[in-house]
Amino acid sequence: MDSLTSGALGNFIADRVEVGVFVVDADFNITLWNHFMATHSRRPAPDVLGRNLFDCFPELPRAWLERKVRQVQALRNYAFTSWTQRPYLFRFDHNRPITGGVDAMRQNCTFLPVKNEAGEVEQVCVTVQDVTDTAVAHQELAASLAEIEKEKAEQRKLIRELESAHNQLLQSEKLASIGQLAAGVAHEINNPIGFVNSNLGTLASYVDELMGVLDAYTGVHAQLPDAQRSAVEAQIDGVDLAYLREDLVALVTESREGLDRVKRIVQDLKDFSRMGESEAAWADLHHCLDTTLNVVANEIKYKAEVVKHYGELPEVECVASQINQVFMNLVVNAAQAIAERGTVTITTGTEGDGVFVAVRDTGVGIPPEVKKRIFDPFYTTKPVGTGTGLGLSVSYSIIERHGGRITVDSTVGEGSEFRIWLPVHHPAPAAAAT
Amino acid sequence: MTTALFSEDQRDALQELTNIGMGQAGASVAAVLGEFVQLSVPRILVLKPALIPAALERIVGAEKVTAVRQGFHGDLRGEAVVVFGAAHCRELADLMGYDDSLDEAAERELLLDVSNVLVGACLGGLAEQISAEMGFSAPSLMASEAEVATLLDVSRMDSPCALFVEVNFRLEKRSFACHLVMLLPEDQILVLRDAIDRFLASL
Repeated sequence: MDSLTSGALGNFIADRVEVGVFVVDADFNITLWNHFMATHSRRPAPDVLGRNLFDCFPELPRAWLERKVRQVQALRNYAFTSWTQRPYLFRFDHNRPITGGVDAMRQNCTFLPVKNEAGEVEQVCVTVQDVTDTAVAHQELAASLAEIEKEKAEQRKLIRELESAHNQLLQSEKLASIGQLAAGVAHEINNPIGFVNSNLGTLASYVDELMGVLDAYTGVHAQLPDAQRSAVEAQIDGVDLAYLREDLVALVTESREGLDRVKRIVQDLKDFSRMGESEAAWADLHHCLDTTLNVVANEIKYKAEVVKHYGELPEVECVASQINQVFMNLVVNAAQAIAERGTVTITTGTEGDGVFVAVRDTGVGIPPEVKKRIFDPFYTTKPVGTGTGLGLSVSYSIIERHGGRITVDSTVGEGSEFRIWLPVHHPAPAAAAT
Repeated sequence: MTTALFSEDQRDALQELTNIGMGQAGASVAAVLGEFVQLSVPRILVLKPALIPAALERIVGAEKVTAVRQGFHGDLRGEAVVVFGAAHCRELADLMGYDDSLDEAAERELLLDVSNVLVGACLGGLAEQISAEMGFSAPSLMASEAEVATLLDVSRMDSPCALFVEVNFRLEKRSFACHLVMLLPEDQILVLRDAIDRFLASL
């Protein structure tokens, strides 16, 4: 068999090369349409040759394509399209009917000026290269990259949270030692308070008895001889005996009241910081609330007046130290929400087979976008160093472990109400230890 | 060693050839866009690679830019860089047959299209003057909204010096402007010099 002449060889290659090749003249009539174009467009060459490109393929972007071809003619220069900006010129099926990944063949196109003998561009040749595989690989790479970027962002976030948690750990460690210290000091104070208290009791009765003796003596000295009488009267006037008698009783009474207050504070401190306690036990929530209010009295007394609307409450099975922590959180938050001076109202009552405690403030209120996040760990609106962002999330988890609910109702500018509902019976006493 | 590669005569000839080439380029760009184009007189420098970023910054200013590169090959081999300022070429969308509402991909394609026209016209104009045959590779986006100084990684250039030809484009009726820089490595400068000599001999 004879070899093909070079012209015939060129024709063969142009027709059979695995690249789409077609040529249009100045009027966009198709003058060449190779095998690749025929196969993929399902329009054999005889169907399209001599016909207008846009009549044969009305879906082509006509205005743009016309400019592009005119450009090539005017500049006698190449023009290009890339799949990254224009996925395809012709919508052809891709070579991955099974493995998929894209909707249509990705194409890179080159527009070549076809010059005549005089160097004028009469026709424009377009090559259509199938770059689907590259495009798919590129997309996969881009997706992996995006995935890696996402993971990196998550890791950065985790690291920030870890730092936060570390700081929180230091803080709670500090708080725990302070709590232990307070409990120890409270215990130490209890002993001297005990004997001072008992001595004061004795002292009070001695004072009583002394007063009786003094009463018996009163007036009797008038019967003494002059010299002795005036000496006794000088003594009585010198010490202002009437006032002294009155004040002595008052001093003893006040001292006993003062001691009672010290005892109560010590007791509250001990109640509050019962560190080891994690077993649920029956507790009087009103007692818990009062204890908490005593502990935080200093923190809130300049900001808010506390109004109590206590209802009838049964004893509730709970871990009192944890519930105290929740109460403290809510009351301190309520006071901090108040800008100048306001009221913190605590309402209690029964609801269903449980009890509720509501803490309402007349503070600034919580905007809706903040409200969505207030129970998130580490979320805080307080200045750096003031809040750890853990108070409410810890409260939330404590109430959740007790089988209860914590909800918030807030109006910006009017105030907020946090409401806790707790079942009377602890759901799983054993689990409360965690 | 700045322009020492060229004699005075060669340099003048190159400037003249470039001027004529750019004049033709302006005419053909105007024909394609249908609007009158203003072109600066081309500035020709021979620079060490390390000095190219500074030269670019001097032309464009310190603003953030978007740049397209395109390689050319054949009798002359090098790369052209088209640098667009912040306004980009949205202005030209209708002239290039694009819709008014451009998505990101279309905007980039428009950028590449405009660059291809400018590079083709300028290089083609020059090639014609020195009777050189030239082909072009597809243009690609180099950088988007980047600092001018970061456009070129000169540490990757192994040519000891480069010919730097700079032209500014401006459309009369629109607020579109861009800078085109042609860069030829040293061995191509010698090719160009021979071509200039042939041109001078033919006079």
